[in-house]
Amino acid sequence: MTIHSLTASRLSAGYSDVEILHALDLAVPPGKITAVVGANACGKSTLLRTMSRLISPSQGHVLLDGKSIHRVPSRELARTLGLLPQSPIAPEGITVADLVSRGRHPHQSLFSRWTRKDDEAVESALTATKTVELAERPVDELSGGQRQRVWIAMALAQQTDVLLLDEPTTFLDINHQVEVLDLLTDLNHARGTTVVMVLHDLNLAARYADYLVAIAEGRVHVAGAPEDVLTEENVRQVFGLESRVITDPTSGRPIMLPIGRHRMAEGQDLKENRS
Amino acid sequence: MTALSPTIDLLVENRRRRARRHVFVIAILLAIMVALFAVTLSLGQSFTPPGDVIRVLLGDDVPGAAFTVGKLRLPRSVLSVLAGLAFGLGGVTFQIMLRNPLASPDIIGITSGASAAAVFAIVVLSLSGPIVSVLAVVAGLGVALLVYALSFRDGVAGTRLILVGIGISAMLESIVGYILSSAPAWNLQEAMRWLTGSVNGAQLGQALPLLLALVTFGGLLLVRTRELEALRLGDDTAAALGVKVARTRMLVIVAAVGMIASATAVTGPVAFVAFLSGPIASRVVGRNGSLLIPAALIGAILVLGGDYVGQFLLPGRYPVGVVTGALGAPYLIYQIVRANRMGGSL
Repeated sequence: MTIHSLTASRLSAGYSDVEILHALDLAVPPGKITAVVGANACGKSTLLRTMSRLISPSQGHVLLDGKSIHRVPSRELARTLGLLPQSPIAPEGITVADLVSRGRHPHQSLFSRWTRKDDEAVESALTATKTVELAERPVDELSGGQRQRVWIAMALAQQTDVLLLDEPTTFLDINHQVEVLDLLTDLNHARGTTVVMVLHDLNLAARYADYLVAIAEGRVHVAGAPEDVLTEENVRQVFGLESRVITDPTSGRPIMLPIGRHRMAEGQDLKENRS
Repeated sequence: MTALSPTIDLLVENRRRRARRHVFVIAILLAIMVALFAVTLSLGQSFTPPGDVIRVLLGDDVPGAAFTVGKLRLPRSVLSVLAGLAFGLGGVTFQIMLRNPLASPDIIGITSGASAAAVFAIVVLSLSGPIVSVLAVVAGLGVALLVYALSFRDGVAGTRLILVGIGISAMLESIVGYILSSAPAWNLQEAMRWLTGSVNGAQLGQALPLLLALVTFGGLLLVRTRELEALRLGDDTAAALGVKVARTRMLVIVAAVGMIASATAVTGPVAFVAFLSGPIASRVVGRNGSLLIPAALIGAILVLGGDYVGQFLLPGRYPVGVVTGALGAPYLIYQIVRANRMGGSL
């Protein structure tokens, strides 16, 4: 495991003519878990896609160990930087073991044979994600939670020191969301993998991230330790939402309770919360 | 990580079993193709003993067999095999790359493009020989580019490309019909060739350019098998695995179109062979490995078998495209119904 630095500097990017990221700066802390949060269409997915060179920036750079990722040969980059996209496609009928093996792609050249090392990587990925028993099952027969573990296993088989994940918990039941985040934390602790993930759920993000990044309007609004980032003031600015932030008695991390216009208990009102 | 863990042994074991089955399936398909090839050489309107067939193939002048086998049957069978391999391989490549069985070159207008160019070159420009193949390849690539461009909007979505392709295909087929009906010397056999595909009147001289196209483009595709397989996981995942998606796709399109169009320039657009081979291969191979070589062999089996059935096993004589067309049409309807229900992928 080598420590890699991943930074975005003055990064602008988008689709067709619409610029979504505007001169964004971000330094991902190596060996830590970073969660990226923000309202819909704020650019958090675009940021992740640009950092994994699925999108070319219109200006600025994504630097891996000081080198622009768009200059590194793609196979070489894929041995350091892994990505789990939001909606990967499993070919019909493919087995778990076969799918996870695909993660070895960047480690193989045109005529090289499948080696013991590849088998070991696949085995280790299946074990880490507790999918060994599923190895011979077709992916399309699995539950959502199992399937997501299998995709993570594929990314693990790629054996990259940096792993980016675009909303890895979307469409999962809460128990599976926690399971996936626990798994990523295990991975971070055991291998020192730098994890960067876009998450929808602020509370899960604050609980699992070492470094929380809030994006608003294509820029980093605030970034830092979850206690410093998840505040009532920041939630108002980033999401336009009134809320209360308290400390989770179990994890000691902040949790955010949204305040709507209804269902107020006696003696509570918005103004009081603001003061 | 212990090297002796039972899991890893199981993984290795399963992987080897799959590889063995894959080789086995290929061997069986190859055997069927060779057997069919042998049958088409020795059994036609009359029976030629295998010994005589071999002597003819070795260049002996066998009275009564030299003409039938050497001049009639052999060119026909050789071209059937080559065109079938090209259609099968080119078709499955498109289906894999676009992750949709409907995205086969004979559905999205590429074979009709090649066919229209060939018939234009032959009937209107009075050309013949390799130049016809070259024009067909150029037209096939042009159509591929046109369909790609017309369906492009922030990336290419499979369904949009297929619908645009079906439209273009219909237009090109009407061009073929127009050229044929306004041709001075109207010939039913020729017309059938450019409308549904036929190996009637095949000549051995046509085989060499097709063989060259097959070796060059087919080789290029087989070398890219791994990248193609990665593309099945979606463009994003493939890119994350280090595949240069745009470049691979371009290369694969050029190779597949080159092969399909070269075959079309000789046999016409043999109906549905490109469309059928991939899904059949997928059934036979299952989860055991790449579909490219099995689909190519199935293409050859379909053309050889279809031509044989059309010639000898039906009342009257039909070109191969009529037989494969009758096979393929119900399957096309099935695929469309299925795609409507669940957006199927190969």
